[in-house]
Amino acid sequence: MPRRELLLEDADTRDLTKLAGYEAIGGYASLRKALDMERQAVLAELLDANVRGRGGAGFPMGRKASFLPHPDDTPKPIYLVANADESEPGTFKDREILLRVPHLFVEGVVIAAYTIGSGHAFIYLRGEYLAEFEVVTAALEEARAAGYLGKNVLGSGWDLTVVVHRGAGAYICGEETGLLESLEGRRGQPRTKPPFPAISGLYASPTLINNVETLATVPKILELGGKKYARIGVENSAGTRVFSLSGNVVNGGNYELELGTTLRELIDEIGGGIPDGRELKAIIPGGSSVPVLTAAEVDTPLDFDSMAQAGTMLGSGAVIVIDDRCCMVQLGLRVAQFYMHESCGKCTPCREGTRWMVQLLRKIEEGEATQGELDVLLNVCDRILGNCLCPLGDAAAMPVASYVAKFRDEFQRHIDEGACPFGGESSLAGVLAPVDQHDAHLRSQIEVPGIRAERESLTEAHG
Amino acid sequence: MSGLYDAIRSVAARYPESRSAILPALRLAQQEHGGWLPPEAFRDVAEALELTPAYCRAVASFYDMFHLEPVGRHMVEVCTNVSCALVGAQQVLEAFEGELGVAAGETTPDGEVTLRTVECAGGCGWGTVVVVDHRYHEPVRPEDVAEIVRELRDAS
Amino acid sequence: MVRVTIDGQEVLAPKGQGLVETAASVGIEIPVFCYEPRLGPPVGACRMCLCEVEGLPKLQAACTLTATDGLVLRTARTSEQAAGGQSAILEFILLNHPLDCPDCDKGGECPLQDLTFRFGPGSTRMQFPKRTFDKPIPISPLIALDRERCILCYRCTRFSESVSEDGQLVAANRGAQSIIATFEDEPYRAHFSGNVLELCPVGALTSTTYRFRARPWEIQNVPTVCGLCPVGCNVWATTREGKVARILSRNHPEVHEGWLCDKGRFAYDHLRAEDRLRTPLVRVRRRGFEEASHEAALDAAEAGLRAAGSSVVVAFSGGETVEQATALARIVREGLGSDAALLPDDWDAALDAFRAPLSAIRDADVCLILGDDPVVERAPVVDLWLRAARRAEAEVIAVNPAGDVQAAPGSAAQVCADLREGKKVPTELRETAKSLKSAKRVALVWSEDDPTGGRHVGALANELHENGRAEVAVYVLPRTPNGRGVATAWYTVGEGRSDPPGEGEIGALVVSGDEAASDPRVADLAARASFVLTTAMFQSELTAWSHVVLPGTSYLEREGTYVNLEGRPQRLRRAVVPFGPDELEWLAQLAERFGVAIDPWAAPTAAEQADLPPADEFAWSRPDPQAPPGKPAGPGLELVRIGALFSGAAVERIPQLQFQRPAAEVELAHEDASTRGIAPGEAVVVTSNGTSRELRAGLNRKLRVGVVRIPAEHAKDFGDRVQVSRLSTGESR
Ligand SMILES: Cc1cc2nc3c(=O)[nH]c(=O)nc-3n(C[C@H](O)[C@H](O)[C@H](O)COP(=O)(O)O)c2cc1C
Ligand code: SF4
Ligand code: FES
Repeated sequence: MPRRELLLEDADTRDLTKLAGYEAIGGYASLRKALDMERQAVLAELLDANVRGRGGAGFPMGRKASFLPHPDDTPKPIYLVANADESEPGTFKDREILLRVPHLFVEGVVIAAYTIGSGHAFIYLRGEYLAEFEVVTAALEEARAAGYLGKNVLGSGWDLTVVVHRGAGAYICGEETGLLESLEGRRGQPRTKPPFPAISGLYASPTLINNVETLATVPKILELGGKKYARIGVENSAGTRVFSLSGNVVNGGNYELELGTTLRELIDEIGGGIPDGRELKAIIPGGSSVPVLTAAEVDTPLDFDSMAQAGTMLGSGAVIVIDDRCCMVQLGLRVAQFYMHESCGKCTPCREGTRWMVQLLRKIEEGEATQGELDVLLNVCDRILGNCLCPLGDAAAMPVASYVAKFRDEFQRHIDEGACPFGGESSLAGVLAPVDQHDAHLRSQIEVPGIRAERESLTEAHG
Repeated sequence: MSGLYDAIRSVAARYPESRSAILPALRLAQQEHGGWLPPEAFRDVAEALELTPAYCRAVASFYDMFHLEPVGRHMVEVCTNVSCALVGAQQVLEAFEGELGVAAGETTPDGEVTLRTVECAGGCGWGTVVVVDHRYHEPVRPEDVAEIVRELRDAS
Repeated sequence: MVRVTIDGQEVLAPKGQGLVETAASVGIEIPVFCYEPRLGPPVGACRMCLCEVEGLPKLQAACTLTATDGLVLRTARTSEQAAGGQSAILEFILLNHPLDCPDCDKGGECPLQDLTFRFGPGSTRMQFPKRTFDKPIPISPLIALDRERCILCYRCTRFSESVSEDGQLVAANRGAQSIIATFEDEPYRAHFSGNVLELCPVGALTSTTYRFRARPWEIQNVPTVCGLCPVGCNVWATTREGKVARILSRNHPEVHEGWLCDKGRFAYDHLRAEDRLRTPLVRVRRRGFEEASHEAALDAAEAGLRAAGSSVVVAFSGGETVEQATALARIVREGLGSDAALLPDDWDAALDAFRAPLSAIRDADVCLILGDDPVVERAPVVDLWLRAARRAEAEVIAVNPAGDVQAAPGSAAQVCADLREGKKVPTELRETAKSLKSAKRVALVWSEDDPTGGRHVGALANELHENGRAEVAVYVLPRTPNGRGVATAWYTVGEGRSDPPGEGEIGALVVSGDEAASDPRVADLAARASFVLTTAMFQSELTAWSHVVLPGTSYLEREGTYVNLEGRPQRLRRAVVPFGPDELEWLAQLAERFGVAIDPWAAPTAAEQADLPPADEFAWSRPDPQAPPGKPAGPGLELVRIGALFSGAAVERIPQLQFQRPAAEVELAHEDASTRGIAPGEAVVVTSNGTSRELRAGLNRKLRVGVVRIPAEHAKDFGDRVQVSRLSTGESR
């Protein structure tokens, strides 16, 4: 299947970050078109396009938008939130969109806000993305000056305020309810659902939350027409996606492809294959939270259903290529460390379970674990799965369980040989994760409050 | 400190509820206090947003970009998540440790540079990603480290 | 009603009722830790309540679900999946929880211990060192925190954030590093801090005043009512070996929803203060007080009263039970022939037309708070109801010098009159008048002394009811715990008669209780009295004026009835036996000598946990009261004294409560501070009436310009106006 550029079309040849450049290729025409249509009609196009969310969960965008009450039926304001918190390991595609086609994204935001009858949109932008912040803010400024947003958008009588809200370093704020908490000025701990954001989201008002890429698709849908858009890609997976390719591959980067392209095409033809003459060992096809595929599964097409059939997920479209130098126990440890670091601490199984997973994995990696402890690890994964408040716990348990399932003998050798079979030569050997750093740091910091003198007397008196 | 107070109030005005401005407010306060948040910073933010210092600290401690202890004038952050680690992030980190003479998580004795590892910075295809004072360097190989450190030292 | 099936059993439940409650109604227990409906919407954090819901693939946190028709729920009793989930969660909770039940104060009354005993694993699979912390650390002089035992259910922090809204106790850090904390080294200093002790489902938060004092099997819990403010929270007094060891709340959902303020929770130990009066004292000429026998004291009291004839004044405290107040009223009126009394709180019975439970505040559309005293200092729990109302999206408008409408001090009566008039409402009250006009349910709260017995606010209520057709509830906050009951008792015995204390010489003054004994108006009467008979728990300035002092008792040592600010009679029960006769016994013996028969053992008039009598038939026929003229302006700033909750004889005697006492601070408006060049936290000199005092400056952006507020105990001897200036650099230290 060919490389197919829809969102990133023309971005290689022109500077689309400036309004003039974007308008020159027909930018904001979709917005004009939308404003001439009834809201319901725009929504119908989105439903026809059958575009599924690009943030990770893959929920159909039109359906989600249709869950919101009509603006006349609710006394509350309606909000649109663009999820630009991109932090799933392996994923850097929203950044590509923000940096190279910011106006496409802004146009998508404006159309989506119009569709749901919102006068107030927020862009929750990953805090680390400073250059992206600058580009997006400049694009918004230009769009505002040109009348594409702000008061009386293109003379339609409808007002739209767009505020860029920068995060401050917490993966969980990508989860939609954690994001809302964070945007409301709290610790970004997810909320229990129901109620869903469509009914009670930001400030307890109806809220539509979509990923950057999903929103950037909207102008293209209107341009082509929903039905025509739906014909791109394969059954149940309409359109293109910007895949983030990384790891042991020659040409890492973002590539927009039609859904249904195989992993092999992406890795070998577009990515240039595995460098240094190494062998492909495994592929993480959708960001670090999804189950792993083996080299034998490299012909799996990149679409929602094929991935599900292979027991994994398309997730955020981040393909991480792993060659034969990687120890799968170390991979499990590093992935678990990430989720432990990012667990928000609200629910028990995630907070306690990820920490226990890290302890067990480290022990296995060090060759100290017993056979029983490998079973305990699998059982801990099982006990996290499906029991947490939000999907973060699952995101730790699922991949690790899949590493054991698909590379069991490698885990077994750690136990049988009492040491890592790679003998310190694995590509992930000794990687210092932020949790290790934190542990050392927190030991000195943990004694936070307490009236020091009182503490001493109390400790003395009662041990 | 009414400059900070007014700056925070004006950011707060962008939101339907002023509490929403806590992250930008903490960011402003952190800039004002040399890159970290001492107790006074929380008192200032609390006053401007009609919250308590305890609340502000609780929020700040949830996010990795707020520092509750002093940091160096410059910050070097090395991503050691999977994609970068697969292509040698640890070697890059060690090169920085060697060049700066401190371990990850520490600040050079002259207070100039803090070195730390971070989780996925979002540049995975161009690993190893190193973020220096909020600007991305992609990709960084161990042999590039000396140059980056020299530039930093020159900048101070 | 909807039909729900739980473990195969059909249950009829009101739609929207929580599933935990629905299951409980048919005797099925769903274990919970974080779930506590009083803390707001469920958060689903601990996951202890995982259950299977038919049609859903994953287990659900039952605490977050409500009854809907046709819902089929299977708990761990009948669902293997749910049992698996539950056991997983319990294992995760116990991973880092220390096994120190034998040393833990919660042992024996700990939900975690109980659940572990019933459902927990026999052994642990966790081979790694548990998370360790410094422990226990005091987060205030009242509360110790053991972070190792904490299971991060966030009940305590949710209380602090969304019930008392004090924002002091928070969760810091993220993930496995999360901890409960206060700000830096600062203590958890808030009016309701002690509630977190009862909310904590494990032994992470324990009371420094109760730690290691008793074991669950050695104690008795006596149901009674707190006697320290006019709310009348229902409590359990835990006693051990005849002493009160702690106070726990006993949830009355209409009165206090189970919350207690720290005064009610922690002040009980004043019963055992060393300086408590234990024996009657009789003043002997030139030799001062001497301890006397009961008989001798009664003889002296009788003699003193007889000599006074009918020139007798009685000063009530408002802490007497209805029975005590009735007995005293009968002695004075029937036995001695006087109708002269000084009441701490007056009360107009016509206000009973607007009687409503405190919980009705939460259901109001508009709550209007009038008067200069902060509600939380006068009747703390009322503040919680007002906050609940605001969270329920009611409009809560405080009209006072630091309120939403920054009214002049002492202008509450005028505000009532202005709002009643309807026409020519002053600009600052326009919005308020508009809100009141459109409201269907209004709660009016009066929070300062009102010599007219609440008639100003009553007249406003009447106007809103008659012309606005609103449902109106009125809450006049008395100054004293049973002020309403005492006033009613006094009027009832005298069929409505009451004389103010006369001018000039007084034959005898009867001072009933410590509150009266510390009232400056009473001191003034005492100076004019030939004979003073006082009942008090402690010596004070006034007992020095007395001729006979009888030892008094506390609300925890008496049987009787209190009427709270709602008008709800509630029963006080004797938790511990006082060391001598209580007031009622003294009064009965004294009464006998004047031919009045009083039965000290009669059953109290109120039921165990009383219902609020219904609002009286609408009967407002009062002439509208005249608002007092405003105070003349003068130089300097106008002083508002704050009567702090954490003050008075009981609080002063509890070392652990001292940090709660009001700081020596003067609150200034932002403008007044900047024109004087005063920075927040700076030491300033406050001068008034020839008295100067050094206080710390506090800035309040909401305070009316030209007004300062100072806690009453730091404003002694000040007049109505004060001068505030910076300490000149030479003086500052
Ligand atoms: C732990 C976690 C992290 C997530 N991070 C992101 C993210 O960084 N960006 C994103 O768009 N969606 C993220 N999501 C998915 C969002 O919750 C949500 O499904 C998505 O933003 C919806 O947009 P979409 O329907 O357009 O995909 C995350 C979900 C979870 C559970
Ligand atoms: S201290 Fe107690 S109440 Fe607070 S989170 Fe921990 S276990 Fe829960
Ligand atoms: S009781 Fe339901 S999640 Fe805690």
